[in-house]
Amino acid sequence: MAHNQEVDTEAMTRRGSLAALAGAGALALAGCTETESDSGGDGGSGSDSSDSSGSDSDSEMSSDDALSGSINIAGSSTVFPLMSAVAEEFAEANSEVQIDISSTGSGGGFANFFCVGETDFNNASRPIKEEEQELCAENDVEYIELIAATDALTVVINNNNDFATEMTVEELSQIWQSDAAELWSDVRDEWPDEEIDRYGAADTSGTYDYFIENVMGEDGHTSDYQATEQDNTIAQGVSGSEYAIGYFGFAYYFQNPDELTAVAVDNGDGPVLPSLETAASGEYQPLSRSLYTYPSTSSLGEEHVAEFARYFVSQTTNEDLVAGDVGYVPATEETQQEQMQILEDAIEQAQG
Amino acid sequence: MATDNTATTAFGEVSRVRGIVFEYLSFGASVFGIFALAVLLIYVTIDAFDLANANPLWLLTYFITLVVPFLGFCLYSARDPAVTRRALVAAGGGLVAIAAVFTAIEAFVGQIPRLNWPLAYLFVVIIPLTGYLTYVGAQGRAGSVGFGLIGRLLGGTAIGLAFTVLFLVFDARLWFLVYTLGVVPAVLAYGYGRIRSVPTAQTAAVPVAIGGLFVAVFLRPVVDTYPTTVFIYLWTLAVPVAVAGGFVVNARGSRTAALAAAGGPLAVATGVGLLGQPLGLGVGGPNALLVVAVAGVPTAVYLHRVADVGEGVTGLGLPVLLVAGALAGALLVESFGLPAPDPWLNGSFVTEAPSRNAREAGLYPAIVGSVIIIAMVAALSFVLGVATSVFLEEYTADSGIVGALTRMVQINIANLAAIPSVVYGLLGLAVFANLIGFGFGTAVTASLTLSLLILPITIISAQEAIRSVPDDLRRGSDAMGATRWQTTKNVVLPEAFPGILTGTILALGRAIGETAPLIMIGAATTVFSAPTSLFSRFSAMPMQIYAWADFPQAEFRYGVVAAGVITLLIILIGMNGTAILLRNRAEGEN
Repeated sequence: MAHNQEVDTEAMTRRGSLAALAGAGALALAGCTETESDSGGDGGSGSDSSDSSGSDSDSEMSSDDALSGSINIAGSSTVFPLMSAVAEEFAEANSEVQIDISSTGSGGGFANFFCVGETDFNNASRPIKEEEQELCAENDVEYIELIAATDALTVVINNNNDFATEMTVEELSQIWQSDAAELWSDVRDEWPDEEIDRYGAADTSGTYDYFIENVMGEDGHTSDYQATEQDNTIAQGVSGSEYAIGYFGFAYYFQNPDELTAVAVDNGDGPVLPSLETAASGEYQPLSRSLYTYPSTSSLGEEHVAEFARYFVSQTTNEDLVAGDVGYVPATEETQQEQMQILEDAIEQAQG
Repeated sequence: MATDNTATTAFGEVSRVRGIVFEYLSFGASVFGIFALAVLLIYVTIDAFDLANANPLWLLTYFITLVVPFLGFCLYSARDPAVTRRALVAAGGGLVAIAAVFTAIEAFVGQIPRLNWPLAYLFVVIIPLTGYLTYVGAQGRAGSVGFGLIGRLLGGTAIGLAFTVLFLVFDARLWFLVYTLGVVPAVLAYGYGRIRSVPTAQTAAVPVAIGGLFVAVFLRPVVDTYPTTVFIYLWTLAVPVAVAGGFVVNARGSRTAALAAAGGPLAVATGVGLLGQPLGLGVGGPNALLVVAVAGVPTAVYLHRVADVGEGVTGLGLPVLLVAGALAGALLVESFGLPAPDPWLNGSFVTEAPSRNAREAGLYPAIVGSVIIIAMVAALSFVLGVATSVFLEEYTADSGIVGALTRMVQINIANLAAIPSVVYGLLGLAVFANLIGFGFGTAVTASLTLSLLILPITIISAQEAIRSVPDDLRRGSDAMGATRWQTTKNVVLPEAFPGILTGTILALGRAIGETAPLIMIGAATTVFSAPTSLFSRFSAMPMQIYAWADFPQAEFRYGVVAAGVITLLIILIGMNGTAILLRNRAEGEN
């Protein structure tokens, strides 16, 4: 009797559990499948990782409204911090847009990536050169030029150097031209008889080109110096040697003003120290320069790229971001409106 | 007497000075490298965890609640009074010595930046002592059980996380189809053939799998409805892991135990995966299911084995001891209001995107990029490297035209190993990115380039391993009538496997830290979201770390870069640890 009962209960539970399993299985099949959502954008074969099951209308809504796609950016290491700050904000608001930024130097970006049609934007710390324009034209890459911010190219010396705190453009040229002065005393007689230790930008850098054009001109750039793309390396070199001199973008000096001493540059109207104010007012000459970004016109035809470009231009007047976080001079309202006009025209042309 | 005298004069005296000098020179050379590396790593660690700002009381609290119990456990496991005495002398003597040396240096030489005596004591005495005692403790039964358990928990979690990362770019739905139509039928056919001894069913397994793969690829664009990701993971990964665990336990013990060991973790994993988020546990979803299942099943199987053997059961308390110690430490720190250091390497660093603010900066997209690239490199270089070396060692002729050709290939491979990595970057740019069109800076281009880069190292080390298999074994196999393929498969490769893995470990370590070829193929410096396909632009950890090293803010150069370096090291060590475990297991089987 007892035995029978046991068998009975076991049978019952087995049946019960089978039924429960079947029910659960049916529920699972009904409720826990999802259909292929239309994968928007041109990003390729990515699977949408929308974990929320069901509610098709919701996911469709979001995929219609949200921008999606990828944006490839390369170019100047000087503009890199500014571009990544703007991209960070944009990526936060538009999670479906994938932005990648490479710091390749202005020239490297144009030659290897932008003018062969691999990137959507190229950052540059100087205007595009003629041979780069030709290369772009050869590959049918059209572009527009947008001003991103203003930088004060900063010449730095060691903190223990108390003699060379003010220099004329002519003296700077003597130090950096291809037939460069060997000793500090060659530049100015009262300066010490010590060798000049030079740290500067590599020749793929826009900073290098700008420095030649505005300081040395025809005389070219010396090859007797430590060339690097890394501001950090220049700073370490200069802070490690009492008779060293170097130059780089303003951002590094702005963030670490105690590490090095900036040289006040005299362009004929008395020495001017680099600062956000002197660069914005145009007093700091000839070393305050515009920074650029070049969007390709065909990329602007895509809505997510156009929207990013608009966002970038709108952020160029954001003082907290441009001056506070990165250390460049924000654009004026007027410049911003001009740039926005250029951009809107290009977008209209590309999309229309 | 006379004979004695003549003997000494005839033998003369041999100067031992040269020998002693040589011994100490070689000792000095080995110490110099290790010492420089240790100083570097100590500073990177101090920066990454902000230990320079750690309150000595904070350090002391965790030392007492976490480190001391752990050392006690190791000593208990070792049960050797001599070791205990040595450890106490080292800890006590080291304390006095370090404090004295430090005070002397600070008094006479000057302040050592970012280092104080508690930290020096921690790095110079406590960490080596912990390492030594861990090693000694692991020899004891309780220790080996405890470390085995922790190893399975951590290793399972790491493998589960690695899977979730791979599924970011590999299509889970395609995998679902491949698994259902290819893997399951093939395994069923093979199992059926094994149990019923039907050889045709066994040989049919491979064609079935390949057929299933093709059907799956064909069906993927056609089929429109799939289970949700949770169910795909459950069906294709958690259930097989549980079934395998169940089989292992079943072979050793009872059917009930097998059911418990497999079903228990599976049920927990399913529960967490499905109900975790609705119930507000803070974790849940497909990834949690995967991690719990992959970590839980091996742990359960291990628990069963320990209980079955019945030795060293006390070792199972080790995880409890560590968790309780950490909690107690946190409680004490909280209640006494001790200021805690603010580490750069924390949870948000590994889960967030890069940022312009040092405090918010994270490495997540680069970690994902590196893990995906390295997984593909491992698979590619292992297959290509082993295939090449087997062919060169076992199949080609040694003489004649073929022999000359083989020697030429050999010389070229040896020379390729010495080519700078930038050249491989150029090759990758020209061939994979431009000619074949895999795209600039995509994961496919990156992993193919890096595979080529480490291929010579893999081939050479695999060749050495194959060459070191005694020829007697091959001849013995030949004498039994085995074909060359059978000899290679059954004798040579199993014998050479540990050596092959050693070479692969070294090569992969090089690949994960490579930057130059990545720059050449146009890999991105910074990306803000994890990649979604193999053809999207990638960043890798060394690229991002290099970019941070150039940021103007000092927080980036000292804090964030250090955190990135430590993360890279942890992933590298995890990867190598897996390979070393595999190798040791293979060596054990031999």
